[in-house]
Amino acid sequence: MKKVLAIVLTVAMVLALTACGGGTGKASGGDVVKIGVYEPQSGDNGAGGKQEILGMQYANSVQPTVKIGGKEYKVELVYADNESSNDKAVSAASQLIGAGCSVILGSYGSGVSIAASDTFLEAGIPAIGVTCTNPQVTEGNSHYFRICFLDPFQGTVMANFAKATFGAKTAYCLGQLGNDYDQGLINYFKQAAEALGMKVTTEAFPEGNSDFTSYLTNAKNAGADVIFAPCSTSYAQLIIEQSATQGVSIPLLAGDTWDSNVILNAAAGKNLDIEVSTFYQEGANADFESSFKAWINGDSTNLANNGGNDTLAAVSVMGYDAYFTALAAMEKAGSIAAADIMKALPDTTYTGITGEIKFDATGDAERDSAVIKKVNTKDAAWEFVAVQGVN
Amino acid sequence: MLTEKKDKTGLFIGAVCLAVLYVFLILLDNVIPQNSFTLLLVPVLKKGAIYSLVCVSMNLLNGFTGLFSLGQAGFMMLGGYAYAIFSIPKDQHAAVYQYFDGGLIQFSIPEALSNVLGESAGAIIGSIICIMIAGIVAAAFAALIGIPVLRLKSDYLAIATLGFAEILRAIFQWSGLGPITNGSNLLRKYTSLSAIKIGSLKLATFFPFFIAGISIALIVLLINSSYGRAFKAIRDDEIAAEAMGINLFRHKMLSFVISSFFAGVGGALLAMFQTTIQATPFKSAMTYELLLIVVIGGIGSISGSCIGAFLFIACNEWWLRFLDNGSFMGMSVPFFRDGFRKVVFSVIIMVIVLFFSKGIMGDREISFAGLARRIRGSKPSGGKEAPAK
Repeated sequence: MKKVLAIVLTVAMVLALTACGGGTGKASGGDVVKIGVYEPQSGDNGAGGKQEILGMQYANSVQPTVKIGGKEYKVELVYADNESSNDKAVSAASQLIGAGCSVILGSYGSGVSIAASDTFLEAGIPAIGVTCTNPQVTEGNSHYFRICFLDPFQGTVMANFAKATFGAKTAYCLGQLGNDYDQGLINYFKQAAEALGMKVTTEAFPEGNSDFTSYLTNAKNAGADVIFAPCSTSYAQLIIEQSATQGVSIPLLAGDTWDSNVILNAAAGKNLDIEVSTFYQEGANADFESSFKAWINGDSTNLANNGGNDTLAAVSVMGYDAYFTALAAMEKAGSIAAADIMKALPDTTYTGITGEIKFDATGDAERDSAVIKKVNTKDAAWEFVAVQGVN
Repeated sequence: MLTEKKDKTGLFIGAVCLAVLYVFLILLDNVIPQNSFTLLLVPVLKKGAIYSLVCVSMNLLNGFTGLFSLGQAGFMMLGGYAYAIFSIPKDQHAAVYQYFDGGLIQFSIPEALSNVLGESAGAIIGSIICIMIAGIVAAAFAALIGIPVLRLKSDYLAIATLGFAEILRAIFQWSGLGPITNGSNLLRKYTSLSAIKIGSLKLATFFPFFIAGISIALIVLLINSSYGRAFKAIRDDEIAAEAMGINLFRHKMLSFVISSFFAGVGGALLAMFQTTIQATPFKSAMTYELLLIVVIGGIGSISGSCIGAFLFIACNEWWLRFLDNGSFMGMSVPFFRDGFRKVVFSVIIMVIVLFFSKGIMGDREISFAGLARRIRGSKPSGGKEAPAK
């Protein structure tokens, strides 16, 4: 029995090794430039990660080649799944470095980006964060850039919006215990809201919680005018469901994670007011959207990765812009060497679908406004509300 | 007389294998050029060494003392946090504890030592001190918890330790403790494995093997001592052990505290490897993963736990990754896509647990004395060849 096991394991090992060798050997050489896609494809953020990848894949299908220094290169996307987990970050990052990527895009989720940051730094490969909003991703790093806005900005925007639109005097914040995204955003929201003279109550629910009735009751008892709950979509669905059944009609506010068709489906037909801040509003660029949607509908895998329908998520559009920002950096560098691209990135500018992308001294894109949109519960679609800045 | 000679040969072969391994690791870090193969090999080796240590420490408790405890992830978390908190450089505090005014503990042991001893010596000695602190913190908590918990038996002990680990995680994430644990946020910028070097000689892969090697050697010595025999006696029959004059509670406590100490050391090494640490991954799933490795390797076998740890990590993070890529040996296989790896992995685990319930090694060990006999051409022993760790 033991011998059989040993043989089976050895065979598995040998097969796997040859597979690894084959996979990497085939692509190297020739005029190919590789872009590493460091995104979660499983775990808590798997759904969001897949949507972000869709944007990059679409961009790759739109422009599969890039001209660098007078030479035409084929752009190849190399994927590594970080499983939304910090302890898988290092090996996923190593996989991309091993494949010889010139630049890395990702990740959805700031924690995994921070966890892999030092691995990319040691290898000297620049990374472009697509929708990771935690300030710590780029802070103190010369190799990590990002094309989206930051949590301090987003928190302030939502606090301003709550004050301006709802005249909120009391806000109730609900986030997941142990989730740095939730807690970070709530922290900035609270700071800004208190500066505006609001009263803020914060609560945290434990991981795996499925009963939000007591939290919603607390929000009601606190006399909250708005509930700010920037948690992950799996909890968001439950919160939406339960506030509808409990008849809690307090407006629900959230950050960019809620910009997902999961939320639309959950809120369909319910008498709720749900408003989120995000990077892009569907409908802002009709030509781009119709061809993107046609591309998604043209392939069942793409459709499945987008959650079963063709509603464009802002993260997909951001993924699209990130791909072209990377190409712009390569063109500017005039080289496919990681070190040259890193040098060129701070001065790279690109006008994308989501606006102009230009990096500041920290490596963050200069964004001065966020899009606020609300759920049209009748048609299960997003409705544009406002472009909100911090002032 | 004859046995003594054999043992010495075995010890000699073991020492040579270990030396060869260590030299190879140092070469891997410094001389051997990086390519796609070594880039994947190195993280697997590092993490494998760390998991080996944690699994051996779990085996000490579950396999050798017969205490079915599921608190290992909690103790690793304690160790990892203790390590990180004491080694974040002073000027990074404001950035790391961004929501908590720079945190409460405003010094870093490796940094303080670097100022006195120079950068590399400071980083090495400082991180070793922090690793010791990590172990001691985990052991201290184990001693406290052990008093009520170790009076329970079998399933009850498992439930109590599991509950303890979960409670501990929730406490660490509580924002009230934020100035120390950084609440729900990551701890980062502390002394990581890449800072461990002498001059330009990088020891990033060697270091976890070195610490894990020493720790596992200590556990082996403990198991082969009179304490170890007492542990095994308790495992086999508590009443008989007590009748033989073994103080049950004292020995159980000893095993629990020592096991937790090394789990803490393992947690500190994991923190060094990951370069960031957060309480979220240290949930019960991690303990089950460790338990799985112990079962695959063989309950009651140190070498089994080590082999199991390397196999598990390599399969999980490397060998089975091709299942997600959509192609196999150049051929395109449509159902090889994201998530398929997890399915295959689960099936392999089920097969092992169902049909090889004793694991790879059962309760036997790799014996270098047996290997020496085989080389000399006498009767072969049952031991399977594997790296000396």
